[in-house]
Amino acid sequence: MIPFEYRTPKTLKEVHAGLQEFGPDAKLIAGGTALVIMMKQRLVRPSCLVSLRDLRGLNGIEVEDGGLSIGGLATHREVESSSLVRRRLPMLAEAYHHVATIRIRNMATVGGGLAHADPNQDPPPALIALGATVKATSAKGSRVVPLDGFFTDYYETVLNPDEIITGLFIPKVPANTGAAYLKFLPRTADDYATVSAAAVLTLDKNLKTIVDARIALGSVGTTPIRATAAEAVLRGQPVKAEAFAEAGEKAKEATDPISDFRGSAGYKKEMAAVFVRRALDKALADVRQQARAKAAAKPKAKKKAAKKVAKKQRRR
Amino acid sequence: MNKKITFRVNGKKAAVEVPTNRLLIDCLRYDLGLTGTKEGCSVGVCGACTVLMDGDMISSCLTLAVMADGHEITTVEGLAKNGVLNPVQKSFIQYGGFQCGICTPGQVVAATALLEENPKPSEDEIKDWMMGNLCRCTGYYKIIESIQKAHQFAK
Amino acid sequence: MRFTQSAQIPVAREPLWDFLMDVPKVAKSLPGVESVSKIDDTTYQGTLVVRVGPIKLNLQGKIILEEQNKNDWRAALRAEAKDRMAAGAVNGRTSMTLKELGANQTELLVETDVNILGKIGEFGQPIIRKKADAMLKEFVDNIKKQLAG
Repeated sequence: MIPFEYRTPKTLKEVHAGLQEFGPDAKLIAGGTALVIMMKQRLVRPSCLVSLRDLRGLNGIEVEDGGLSIGGLATHREVESSSLVRRRLPMLAEAYHHVATIRIRNMATVGGGLAHADPNQDPPPALIALGATVKATSAKGSRVVPLDGFFTDYYETVLNPDEIITGLFIPKVPANTGAAYLKFLPRTADDYATVSAAAVLTLDKNLKTIVDARIALGSVGTTPIRATAAEAVLRGQPVKAEAFAEAGEKAKEATDPISDFRGSAGYKKEMAAVFVRRALDKALADVRQQARAKAAAKPKAKKKAAKKVAKKQRRR
Repeated sequence: MNKKITFRVNGKKAAVEVPTNRLLIDCLRYDLGLTGTKEGCSVGVCGACTVLMDGDMISSCLTLAVMADGHEITTVEGLAKNGVLNPVQKSFIQYGGFQCGICTPGQVVAATALLEENPKPSEDEIKDWMMGNLCRCTGYYKIIESIQKAHQFAK
Repeated sequence: MRFTQSAQIPVAREPLWDFLMDVPKVAKSLPGVESVSKIDDTTYQGTLVVRVGPIKLNLQGKIILEEQNKNDWRAALRAEAKDRMAAGAVNGRTSMTLKELGANQTELLVETDVNILGKIGEFGQPIIRKKADAMLKEFVDNIKKQLAG
């Protein structure tokens, strides 16, 4: 690694001042797990690292407007272990749990991961399918950017060099919505996916028609891919297996994977279709499971169940 | 550029002046003489460099030494107290959880962190936690067994 | 890694050929080329800067003109470049063919076979392909400005 200056600002104002001082040769560092590897290989050679590690108040996880607000400096581990995330958005906790190893997740931050923009990452397709937005903050103020459209190329995003991701927001999940994230890992458990698929399905109150579908794929392009054509095939349609298979085929058409040690481009394309279909199946199962749990928890159902038990006991 | 950093290692204060591009693993091994932590892959994948920072597992090969400033680091040398090995260490010896030993410091530190959070983990929980610590010798069976039985050595 | 690219250029075949055989002129139109100097009739030395997100590659190397066949409207060159800092290298061979589509329309067909070695090879493959497409597009735009404008 080449020598560099290391700044430890305590406030966002100090961070912006540090970035201004060093200009484009400065890099922000939070967990550092991606950046330090690239610096060790001298692929990235900043003259100054501005550390975000001493900033306070940017790692909270809380309910906001019925949705979930996650601070940009929350670690992957904090997200996957948060009881709030596990209860309200278990699919998101699962997506964050899939990232590398616990060691990486203890350091890597939500904001840093998104800013790194590796198309093989797990959180982005899950977040895109959930309709998430990020808050990007510079010295001039903040703006909200939807994650769908945030990633522009390999390691490139719409962020300006002086912007920091200070927050991530997942909007309130509508009623009768199921979510799934599937990571196809034919190699080792800590690797990036060969193909990954996230699906969020919203059904009508009778659970017979698809009101909305959001599908996103990872590891099949230079950015995560939102499969809008696949979504269009599902919206307004009755729930049936053939529709999911068709959506899978449409999603496959949106992919542009490369051949590498995780699989050939052709194989990844085929698996994209398979895993979109499976993710939709799992999202559907999720809606149905939630409905069953809700029905079982209703007072009328509880009374009915109690009566049944009492009747059984009297018979003995 | 050099920076003066102060942190705690295995319960003792450490004050060093290091170049900003010094990695934590190199600071521990060369500046502090704690050579128990090993460097395997250098890219944070193998787990041989596992240490605890404020009780959480990290890859010391991917952490800058300056990032440890003000924190508490635990290395394999810090697991035994007053010359008495901790339950994980005793169990690894009893049940043969190592062969060549190169991955062992990382395995033992990781397992200690696991048992701190979950004193009687199931086999699946052990595998899920330990999956980032690679071993070329044992085939993992004895490592898992050692961790499963470590509670036998706890007071 | 092998790939083929093609572009349609609104310039007649012969003036396009003459332009493409003038290495310094071509170098000026290729985005990222920072310097080009002649070593001999078929060898040039130069620097190419490629950016991918936070990664900036400084490729320094040689271009050797291996084939120049005006009858077949075909040329081929070999490139060997190293990024000393990142301990990586790019070695490749590119062949260009011009096909007449009209009085003022030519198709440029580029076939490349490139090996990316060292650390940049890991990140290299998908990036190089995307960057090559972007570079060709900008290259064609620059040619249009110079020849068709």
